[in-house]
Amino acid sequence: MAEQQETRERWGMVIDLDLCTGCNACVTACAMENNIPWVGEEEAGYGRNMFWIRVQRTWQGEYPEVSPAYQPVMCQQCGRAPCEPVCPVFATVHSEEEQINLQVYNRCIGTRYCANNCPYTARSFNWYDYTYQIPAPMNYYLNPSVTVRRRGVMEKCTFCVQRIHAGQEQARAAGRALQDGEVMPACAQACPADAIIFGDLSDPESRVSKAARSQRGTTLLEELGTQPKVTYLKGGGYYGG
Amino acid sequence: MSRRIIHLALFPEDALDQAAEALETLRGMGITDRDMTVISGTPFSEKMLGRPMSWTRIPIIGISGALVGFLTALFLNFGTPLLYPIRVGGMAYQTLPTSFVVFFELTMLGLLISTFLGVFVEMISPSFGPQGYDPRITDGHIGVLFWAPPELDPRLHESLTGLGAEIIHGAEAKKLWLF
Amino acid sequence: MAVEAQPVSPALNQPAREEETLREQLMFDPRPREELNRMVMESMHSTSPRYWIAVGVLAALVLVCLLGMWGYMIFTGMGIAGIRKPIYWGVFIVTFVFWIGISHAGTFVSAILRVFKAEFRRPFTRAAELMTTFGLAAGALYPLIHLGRVWVFYWMIPYPNARWLWPNFRSPLVWDFLAITTYLLSSTIYLYLPLLPDLAMARDRTQGWRHAIYKTLALGWRGTEAEWFRLRKAINIFAFAIIPVMFSVHTIVSWDFAVSQVGGWNSTIFGPYFIIGAILSGVSAVITILVVLRATLKHMDYFIRPEHLDALGKLVLVFSMAWAYFFFNDYLVSWYGGYEVTRKILTLHATGPTAWVWYCMLLFNVVIPWLTLWNRKIRRTPWAMFIITVFINVGMYFERYTIIPMTLGHQRFPFDWGEYSPRLPEISIAFGTLCLFILLYLLASRLIPLVPVWEVREGQEAHKVVRVGKTVVPSVSELE
Repeated sequence: MAEQQETRERWGMVIDLDLCTGCNACVTACAMENNIPWVGEEEAGYGRNMFWIRVQRTWQGEYPEVSPAYQPVMCQQCGRAPCEPVCPVFATVHSEEEQINLQVYNRCIGTRYCANNCPYTARSFNWYDYTYQIPAPMNYYLNPSVTVRRRGVMEKCTFCVQRIHAGQEQARAAGRALQDGEVMPACAQACPADAIIFGDLSDPESRVSKAARSQRGTTLLEELGTQPKVTYLKGGGYYGG
Repeated sequence: MSRRIIHLALFPEDALDQAAEALETLRGMGITDRDMTVISGTPFSEKMLGRPMSWTRIPIIGISGALVGFLTALFLNFGTPLLYPIRVGGMAYQTLPTSFVVFFELTMLGLLISTFLGVFVEMISPSFGPQGYDPRITDGHIGVLFWAPPELDPRLHESLTGLGAEIIHGAEAKKLWLF
Repeated sequence: MAVEAQPVSPALNQPAREEETLREQLMFDPRPREELNRMVMESMHSTSPRYWIAVGVLAALVLVCLLGMWGYMIFTGMGIAGIRKPIYWGVFIVTFVFWIGISHAGTFVSAILRVFKAEFRRPFTRAAELMTTFGLAAGALYPLIHLGRVWVFYWMIPYPNARWLWPNFRSPLVWDFLAITTYLLSSTIYLYLPLLPDLAMARDRTQGWRHAIYKTLALGWRGTEAEWFRLRKAINIFAFAIIPVMFSVHTIVSWDFAVSQVGGWNSTIFGPYFIIGAILSGVSAVITILVVLRATLKHMDYFIRPEHLDALGKLVLVFSMAWAYFFFNDYLVSWYGGYEVTRKILTLHATGPTAWVWYCMLLFNVVIPWLTLWNRKIRRTPWAMFIITVFINVGMYFERYTIIPMTLGHQRFPFDWGEYSPRLPEISIAFGTLCLFILLYLLASRLIPLVPVWEVREGQEAHKVVRVGKTVVPSVSELE
């Protein structure tokens, strides 16, 4: 079994909805970073898109004062994830080291129970061998740090765990602790409004912990008791302007 | 046993009283219950024929099978999380409410499979009563199989035919299964 | 001063007429055992060309619709089915629950009616048990069919392996695996045990390869007292033990849904609701099959009479009422409580694009049985019972369709709502398993004596007509 690290992080995220413009840069960046396949227009229209993060757009107000509200939603990496206990083969487990929810591609047998049980609809299923069908040399765009999934396995946002591990290795090689802000998932890196903050929730002084304690913060579907690690900040209409 | 001749007295199925009479007659002639067997195509309880109750080990085999199932469930549900602990859903490694399912199913599986194995083993094991068979049994007859010393032959023939039986002297044991 | 009541009717002919009516019942119409055996063997052996054509067609359909389509799906991917985000379970799981429900028929008829000493069960216990075994055979395919990576399905089986990994015993799918394995093995054994004396009968009446098969399977059965005693003991243990197994199997299948947090699914009533639905579905399927057997097999009309359809029809009516009770329980409590998600789902069931499914479910499961099955004449008419019970099973299929895809499509985030429409591969595979069920049944009817003759004979021995006062009444002795 893997060695236990001395420091244990509790990775979490804060998304400031007052800053989010709904530009979908996070969606694109995540797709490029994590080798998310393109399924085509028809399949996407039928609800088969594979995006690990999606921007939910809801319309508010009556015509002509209609305004959109944007909410990027990805796997909430729940503390009490409903997707974990229902997997018959332990393909989705809780990571003790990073305190996030792991999806083990080569263990998944594709029962899709986890996807049904996720209240955030955060999981995607590989309906076909999408990535295998990319003709050479197009496949050179794939990120070598991330596994390419074949048909029949579930996938979901991993908080860019490959970047977390890369950051931890760099820090260990340099003989120092991991700094706050050193590890950024693709979505946080790409966001032009800097609406996504990522970091270690177990460090009370990190930027993400301070943001998570904000008065504007709520979690999605709190009543379900899933203990999600993503906090959404929204003040418009409730607090101030 | 090779020297003792097996006789088979066939009664039609509705002649249950005559069959019971015949057993009494045979007992009166000195043939013990151990040397007699009744075979039939429909079940008749031993009490109806005045016979000693049969024995079986099936219940105890069933219970021991249930115990094996229980222990298997104990290992699978509480043992395997100790072998490889994996945290899921914020639950404990060994959860009691979910264990009821595993315990129930595997205990019942153990009970039912071992009951069947008990039947199977008891059926294929050699039995020690008189061996003998006639296909007419499944066509609605009650057969009384018994060993008798040859000097009783004429008396047997007379009394049993008087009760309405068809007697087959020297009914041979047929190989009804693989051995 | 006591007044003696005088019988009003012309009493002279009465006993004879009543005996005539009684003779309509199987238990009061005894025939010699030889004749019963002959009838059962004849119904097994007489095959018409129509039969072989049916077998051929069904085998071809199974090959193409089930195996061919499934193979194609394994090699191409689950994407050819109609499932999508957020409805990850569709027709495959609906049909799975449907078949497991049908499989409760045999246990109900064979075990529960046996335990309650309902004599009318005697001629059709085996036909029902065959339904259970084949229903489970069809249903047990689905946990494999719906897997994304079916070639590694064996990871669900607990066995020591090089990865040191065991399956997750907190997952309802692993409970499913244990429960269905237990139920399949137990019901096959429970089919086999009472079959032993009839296998011996078949062994004595056949030659050649048939004789060889029966001889091997009959385990040298002679019919000695010890053999009957042991058989009775084992059957009693099985009858009492398989009833809780039956209840547990469908409860565990219902927990696939009830332990989740899906709005509309995590209802505590799912356990009993599914069990009652399964028994309703199963007993209706028994009636359907009995009507078909009566119509197609020789001599079956001696064994299966309107009285049996009548008795089963009453049971179907009772279970239909029980189903309606559980359904309304679930509906009212969800509707009343303020949880927006479940209320919206209920509204959607009744007014959404596929609302016709919900209405058909209520029509077939409640309206049709309640309007028809109270009537004795209808219950005793085979073709009417066939139509009613087919409708009930279609209604039960629609019930599972309502519960699974229709509910999954409308959860907590309206942005993620979706409509599910089954595609050809799913329909083809579901149809293929139906053909498989019928094919297995057809083949079994050639090899397995469909009527447990020894039980029928035992019952006929136990039933007597007894004179009480001025009339004759049927009387049943407890020969066990």
